[in-house]
Amino acid sequence: MDVNIIYNIEHEMPLGILISLYFYLTGLSAGSFIISTFAYGFGMVKFKPLGKIGVVMATLLLVIAPMTLLVDLEQPLRFWHLILYLRITSPITWGTFLLTLYPMNCVVYGYFMFRGDMKRTKIFGLIGIPLALMVHGYTGFILALGKARVLWNTAIMPPIFLVSAMVSGLAMMTLVVIIKDYVIQRKKEHDPTLIYDLGKLLVASIVLDLILIGTDLTVLLTSHTEAYKAAVMLIKGSFSPLFLGVEIFLGSIIPLLLLLSPFTKRWIPGIAIASLLVMIGIFAMRCIMVIGGLSIPLS
Amino acid sequence: MKKKRYAMVIDLRRCIGCHSCSVACKAENRVPPGVFRSWVKIIEKGRYPNITRHFLPTLCNQCEHPPCVINCPVQATWKQEDGIVIIDEHRCIGCKYCLASCPYNARYVNPLMPIVQKCYFCRHRVYAGLEPACVEVCPAKARIFGDLNNPEDEVTKLLSKHPFQTLKPEMGTYPQVYYIAADADAMDPFAGRKEWT
Repeated sequence: MDVNIIYNIEHEMPLGILISLYFYLTGLSAGSFIISTFAYGFGMVKFKPLGKIGVVMATLLLVIAPMTLLVDLEQPLRFWHLILYLRITSPITWGTFLLTLYPMNCVVYGYFMFRGDMKRTKIFGLIGIPLALMVHGYTGFILALGKARVLWNTAIMPPIFLVSAMVSGLAMMTLVVIIKDYVIQRKKEHDPTLIYDLGKLLVASIVLDLILIGTDLTVLLTSHTEAYKAAVMLIKGSFSPLFLGVEIFLGSIIPLLLLLSPFTKRWIPGIAIASLLVMIGIFAMRCIMVIGGLSIPLS
Repeated sequence: MKKKRYAMVIDLRRCIGCHSCSVACKAENRVPPGVFRSWVKIIEKGRYPNITRHFLPTLCNQCEHPPCVINCPVQATWKQEDGIVIIDEHRCIGCKYCLASCPYNARYVNPLMPIVQKCYFCRHRVYAGLEPACVEVCPAKARIFGDLNNPEDEVTKLLSKHPFQTLKPEMGTYPQVYYIAADADAMDPFAGRKEWT
C-alpha cells in the first residue's frame, strides 16, 4: 500500500560530534591508563616504558574530555547543578562523580610514579583500574539507558564501549611509542619487542571488538522491526559507508592484516599505519553510535 | 478532594487536520519558529480512487513512567502528582539527554533561550480553570482534556466506551495521551519513509 507523509515535525538531533568526541577521548584515556598499570600495577616488566606515557596521556585526555561536554551544554554556567541537584538514576550523575575521582586518582598515581614510590604507585594503579573501567563504562550506559533509541538500548553497549576503549588506547600507545622511538629519539638504538607485543595485544582486542559488534548486529537483525531497520541502516543504509567502510574495513580488517601478515608484522611503518587506522575506525564507531542512533526517526 | 490525574483524549474520528491546535499552542506558549510542542502529522494512504488522509495530532505524552525524568541528571524535570511532567527552566543545564531519551520527539531546545522545553498540558491555564489552548481552539472538538480520576469527566467516559490506542506501548511508558481510531501507519515512524523500507 502506498503511504506518503504529507506533514510531520522532526526536531533537531540533540547530540552530535562533540559527544562522539567525548566518548572517544574518555575511551582513549581509560585505555591508556589500563596499559600504564600493566607494569606499575601488575608488575609486567616489559611494559614498564609505557607506565609514565600512559598516565600522562590518561590525565591529559581526561582534562580535555569534559571540556567537550561543557561546550555541548546549552547552559554551561549551570554545570554546578550536576553536583547540587544530582539524580542517582541518571548515568550522567554517575559520570559527574567518576569524572571528578578518576583524574584525581590519575594525578596521584602519576605523582607517585614520577617520585619512584613503587608501593604507592601500585596501590593507586589498582584503585584506578575499576575507576578507568567505570569512567568509560558509564558512557556506554549513557547510550544503553537512552531507551528511545534502538541502536543504543542494548545491554551489550557498555562492554562494547570498554573493549573499543582498549582497542583505541592500545593503538594510541603503539603510535606514541613509535613516534617516541623512531621520530623524537631516532638517534638512539631501540628494542622493537615492546611495539611487537603491543601489536599482539591490539590484534586480540580488535578480534574481541569484532565479536561484540557481530553479536550486537546479529541480535538487532533478528529482533523487532525497529531494531532490524537500525541494523539494515548500518549494513546497507545511510551509515554503511562509515560502518562497513571505515569502522570495519579500514579500522579493523586492514589493521588485522597488517599486524598478522608475516611480511608486515615486523615492519614498524606498517604497525604505525595499522594503529592510526584503528584510531580512525574507533572514532567512526563513536560517531555511528551517537549520530546513527539519533538519526532513526521517532515520529 | 481526590487527586487529579490529567489526561487527553484525541478522537481521530473528529479530527479534520486543520492545524488549529499547533497554531494555538505556538501562540499560547510563545514557541519559537522551527520547534513545536504540538503538531499534526498527516499521511496519505492508497491510490486513487481508494485514498485517504490520516491525521495524528502529537504532543508530550505525559508518560506514567517518563524516561526523560529518570535520565535527567539535575532533577530539572519531574512528574507532578496530577500526572503532568514539567521542566524547571531555571535548573535545566541543557545536556539534552532527555531529548535523546524521549521516544516521542516531544522535547526541543528553545533556539532563543537555550533551555529544553515541551508541552505541559498548558498547566497555567488548567490551574486557572481553563482548558489547554489546543483543546479550546479545536473546531471539531477532537481534543478532549480532563481528569481520569473523575468518573463523570468526559475523558473517562470516552475511554470506558471506546477502544483506544497509545503511542509506542512497547516502550512501557504508559502515555496519558489516548487516541481513538488512530491509524497504525500514522503512528508508525517508519511508514511512508522510502529510505527506511
